Formats: sequence, C-alpha cells, structure tokens
Amino acid sequence: MPGRTKPIEKFAQAVAKCTVESSAYGKCIVADYHSVHKDKCLTEFMRLKDCYVVSRNS
Amino acid sequence: MTMRPANLLPSLRPFLRRSATRRRALITPIASRNYATQAPGNPIYQIFNRGTKWQQKDRAAENVERSRKVDYLKDEVAMRLAERLLDINRHFNHVLDLGANSCNIARALTLPSPFPEMNAPALSTRLSQLTAVDSSHALLHRDEDLPFNREINLTRRVLDEETTLPFEDESFDAVLSSLSMHWINDLPSQLAQINRVLKQDAPFIAAMFGGDTLYELRTSLQLADQERRGGVSTHVSPLADVRDMGGLLQKAGFKMLTVDVDDIIVDYPDTFALMQDLQQMGESNAVLSREKGPIQRDVLLANEGIYRELHGNEDGSLPATFRLIYMIGWKEGPNQSDPLPRGSGEINIKDILGGGDIRYYV
Repeated sequence: MPGRTKPIEKFAQAVAKCTVESSAYGKCIVADYHSVHKDKCLTEFMRLKDCYVVSRNS
Repeated sequence: MTMRPANLLPSLRPFLRRSATRRRALITPIASRNYATQAPGNPIYQIFNRGTKWQQKDRAAENVERSRKVDYLKDEVAMRLAERLLDINRHFNHVLDLGANSCNIARALTLPSPFPEMNAPALSTRLSQLTAVDSSHALLHRDEDLPFNREINLTRRVLDEETTLPFEDESFDAVLSSLSMHWINDLPSQLAQINRVLKQDAPFIAAMFGGDTLYELRTSLQLADQERRGGVSTHVSPLADVRDMGGLLQKAGFKMLTVDVDDIIVDYPDTFALMQDLQQMGESNAVLSREKGPIQRDVLLANEGIYRELHGNEDGSLPATFRLIYMIGWKEGPNQSDPLPRGSGEINIKDILGGGDIRYYV
C-alpha cells in the first residue's frame, strides 16, 4: 500500500539510527555466547533501547 | 475349647494353595500380562500446522505486488530444478507439480533454454500437460493472467497436498516439487504416495529447504531470546537433513537415487528485511508448538545487534543461507539398470588406476 509505512518498517528505520548501541550490545553477547543468561547484557540493552525510543519519537 | 487352631492351619494350607495355583493357571494369561500395543500403521507426528501454513500463503499472495517481488528464491530454485529435467531425454505426457506455490516451475519451463548455442526449444515443448497442485488458492492463481500461461498446457488444482492424492495409480510421467515439501508433516507417506501415482520408470524430482537453512537467524534469535527472556522458543522450523532424505526415498520404493545439496546465500540490509521477505513468501514459522503472536519487540531489537555481530558481512549487509536439497528418485520399472550385486566385480580397480601400494596415513 503506497503512502503507508508498515509498523515493522518504522521499527526498522528507528533501529537503523542506533548502530553504535546495537553493535555494542551484539559484541557483549558474542564475546561469550556459550554462557548467555537472562539480562547478561542488560546495561548495553537498555542503552540500545533508550536510543531506539528517542529515535522513534523524533 | 473346641477350636484347635494349631491343627486347623495345616489342614487349611493345602486347600488354599491348591486353589491359588488353579486360579493362577486359569487367569494369568488374560489378566496379569498386558503388552503395550500400537495402532496399525506408522505413527504420524504432527509438527506443522497446515491450517496456519495455508493462511500464511493465502495472505501473502493477496498482496500481489509484494508477493511477486519476493519470488526471487522460488524462481531461482524452480529454474535449477527445471534444468535437471533437461538431462532426461524423453517426452512427458502428464507431469504433476506438487506444492506449486505460484506455479514457479511452470514459469521456469517456459523460459528459453539456458544453452542458446544448442538452439533447443523451451522445456515446456517436451511436456504435453502439467498439473499444478497447491493448498492456497490465492497463491496458485496469482499469476493466471501472465503470458507464460499460454505457452504451456497448465491445469491448476487447489488441494491440500498432504492429504491422500486424488490421482489414479501410475498416472504421471514425472512428479516435480519445488520448495514446499519442507512443510509436510508425514514425509514418508507423502513420498510413498508420489511413488504410487508415478508410472513405471518415471522420475520424481524435488527441491526442498533442509538442514542448515537460515542457521544465522536461528542462532541469533536463540541468543536474543536467551538473553532477553531467559529461555528459547521455536522461531525457525525444524528441517529434514540431507542424510535422512536418501533413506526416506529408499523406504518409499524409489530406485537410482540422487541427492545433492546447494547453498544459496542472499544478502539483506537488515534482519527486518529478511523476516519481512520470509513472511511475504508465506514461509513464516508454522510449527504447532510455536508461540502465538509476533516476536517481542525487545527480542527483535536484540536480534538485530547479535545477527550483525555474529554473521554480518564486512559491507554491512547480513547474509542468510538457504540450503537446498535436490533429489531425484525413479519408480521401479522393467529394463531399469540396477547396481550389480556386491562382490561381483571381476576387475581389480588397482590395475586400472596404475597400481602402487596402498599407504596408510596415521
């Protein structure tokens, strides 16, 4: 449908502005992916999410 | 005073004992031995929800423009599959396309021959009739009006290919199937049915997703799930392995098997583009035990970062591997060449290859 952006596309666009935070989070997980547990990289994820929320609302 | 228990007991004991033995002899075979029994036929494991699959395909095909755009993978595989027909030098009267999607095979058959120097006509001229079968009406009839329909005698038929095939025994000169068998629950029975509808000495040629397809997405979603939610959920369907297919084909009665593997790696800008394309293809997850509803945003957000770190290309794109299993099996027929019995060789291969001692490397 032209003229209408799908929610997932909006989401993707917002995430695309947070490459630094996203890659920091990814690095934290990949550094030791044999022992991933819940909230292992919570700080990095919250930074990523904050960035996403800001870029979504901007 | 009258009771003498000490005497009474011994007199009772033989009586009791005899009765117990008799009862045991009469009753034991029926009462105390229960064997677990299995209902006749093979057990059928339900892994995929066929209803959901049908819905996904139907919905995807409703958006014709988008749906055509993501046909790149199915068209490519259909073309590679059609090329395999080139090797068989005969005319096919009636061919079945099982799980036809949007008739990608029919389209591939009408394309000009890949070897222009041989000046061969399109493959469709070697077919008299092609019957395309799929469960989704919208997807099957999506391209009804395109010009390729006029170049091939194509009949479309909507039916769930997993149910009993409503065709007579030995009615097809070939059965083709491209990228749909990976959603079949009961593969052995499906293959046996294909074998049933094939004429003697007729080929079954198929391509399906297998093994490590989308392993990048599978692993990164697992890590994202684990870190965000503390557990793993099925997001990518289980697929058949190359090693299994040979055995399955053999069990279904096919002869002269060929199974080979081909990887197609597609680069995507981000994970969202990949997942959107999969959805538009109608290839979203349809595992029965999956979590209903979309994947959580947090997990998607986490997945993007992990996928890029773990698998990303240097130029910033994300590769997605599609592993294709191609298989060819022939229905048994007279005059078909068989492998010679084991040990019947009379020539030493060492003599032909020029001899030399066999050395063992440890």
